[in-house]
Amino acid sequence: MIADSVRAIWCRELQRDDISVDDNFFALGGQSLIMAKIQGEFIEELGIEVPMDQLFLNPTVASISAYIESLGTVTR
Amino acid sequence: MILQGKRVPLPSAPVVHHRFEAHAAANPRAVAVCCAGQQLTYAQLDARANRFAHFLRTRGHGRGAKVGVCLDYSPDMLVAILGTLKAGAAYVPLDPSYPAERLRLLLGQVPGLSLIVASPTTAGLVEPAAVEVVDLQWLAAHLEDFPVTSPDVMVTGDDVCYAVFTSGSTGTPKVTAVRHEGWFNLLNWLTVEYGLHAGSHNLVVSAFGFDLSQRSLLMPLFCGATQYLMASRNFDAAMAYRMLNQHDIRVVNCASSTLYLLVDWETARGGDALTRLDYMLFGGEPLQAERLLDWARREGNSCTLLHQYGVAECTDVATSFDLAGYRPGDHDIPPVGRPAHNTDIHLLDERMREVAAGEYGEICISGTSVGAGYLGGTGPESARFTTVEVDGEPRRLYRTGDRGRVNEEGDLVVAGRMDAQVKVRGMRIDPADVERALGRLAGVRQAAVVVDRAASGETELVAFIEPAGDDLVENDVRARLLQALPRNMVPARFLNVPRIPLSPHGKADRAALSAEFLD
Repeated sequence: MIADSVRAIWCRELQRDDISVDDNFFALGGQSLIMAKIQGEFIEELGIEVPMDQLFLNPTVASISAYIESLGTVTR
Repeated sequence: MILQGKRVPLPSAPVVHHRFEAHAAANPRAVAVCCAGQQLTYAQLDARANRFAHFLRTRGHGRGAKVGVCLDYSPDMLVAILGTLKAGAAYVPLDPSYPAERLRLLLGQVPGLSLIVASPTTAGLVEPAAVEVVDLQWLAAHLEDFPVTSPDVMVTGDDVCYAVFTSGSTGTPKVTAVRHEGWFNLLNWLTVEYGLHAGSHNLVVSAFGFDLSQRSLLMPLFCGATQYLMASRNFDAAMAYRMLNQHDIRVVNCASSTLYLLVDWETARGGDALTRLDYMLFGGEPLQAERLLDWARREGNSCTLLHQYGVAECTDVATSFDLAGYRPGDHDIPPVGRPAHNTDIHLLDERMREVAAGEYGEICISGTSVGAGYLGGTGPESARFTTVEVDGEPRRLYRTGDRGRVNEEGDLVVAGRMDAQVKVRGMRIDPADVERALGRLAGVRQAAVVVDRAASGETELVAFIEPAGDDLVENDVRARLLQALPRNMVPARFLNVPRIPLSPHGKADRAALSAEFLD
């Protein structure tokens, strides 16, 4: 599941383990520098470069996971 | 103590867009701007900007007018900016990454706005507006009726070229106006001092609302080089790094926090796109040099790091320092160097007398770069633009509110603010502005915002909230505040407190809060 990997990355970068799939990244205290790190980890761990604008438009684990799945290019 | 910048004569009409026009005439087929596969030559950009200038003039928006620009980075943004300048008007950047509520508040601070340029994706942020909102795409057919030649409007060095929003000191943002002469002087100084040329292609990586972005936008066009823009509303490190790899980009201007991000990106993933640059110009917040030094010392690194200081009120950059001359250990704080051409740095005490060499004083700026002041400015901030006497002659001067000293090498060192203002990720913030937005939220009786340092070393804001009823939930307050403020202004932490302590003057006692609740 993409959402599990995404959630694990968010938890690591936001340094908390109580994140649900519908929590808003910015309401959790996330900011642009943390989002940039998450973008980098998506490249490393999921093999996909997600545009920053899409990360901002999809600020929950559920919505960004759905976006990534919609690209249909993830192989692992 | 006065640090004097070199005196360099400027042309009789020191106007930035004339320099662009000269390049367009000399090298019409040179590429002016590249963005998402779209590109315009100097001749094409000049023609489109001329048509938009004629359009503005027929609407009655000529010399002295102010035109809002609410666009994402695109060739159209440069058409709007250059067209506005050619019409003799000044542009006001309206950053589309801000929430609509904040843009409305900022628009209310601009007296006599003429018109706003927007696009289908940004118009909703500024509408409904009190003035006409136009879309360049939608106008395209109409603009073709106008001549491609310059409208030849007389513009002097004293006319305003742009005005940007900056923090005030009383909870209300200000809009500060920059003059053509100051902007021309800044770009001419950087060009001459660092040998920029028609190959000094630039990549813009900063948000449109920053004063540094205005310099970054026009710098390559001033040199005859190519401007690379990212088709992204938010800074995208992956896209930026890819563009640096693909194109022959030589110069990047950014806030220090963006520089760390780019350096970390290159360090983590390998690559040499940054080390191959000619220059990175950065500043805007206290520098954590240790985050750069390993990368800076990499073998074959040919990128010169220019650590700069300045304020929006005095045309963005006042001093510049080549970080290669920095020996950690010699100084605790990396210097910001020497003044721009035709610019002096004064270090003054509270009675406006010069302090002795090496002593701390308020950093004040005089010379060509001093701006036209705050538009519609009646607040106490306008008194910061004042006059001093030097050698019997009166000189216009701006008091920055920053503390600094000149070190033994003759370089300026900035030590911090004299007031409560703070920089977060390059954005100057007045905590009272954040307190005001918090105070408007339901459930908040009173709020106080203090500055703290995160474990990572970055400056962050902490909000103390005295709730009107039950304690407020941090994530909920943050989500509501994000509707009202740019992200950099939203505090990192929120703490409920039973009562906000007051100082003897009846103001929130920020020092007492910090002492009680923060380490």
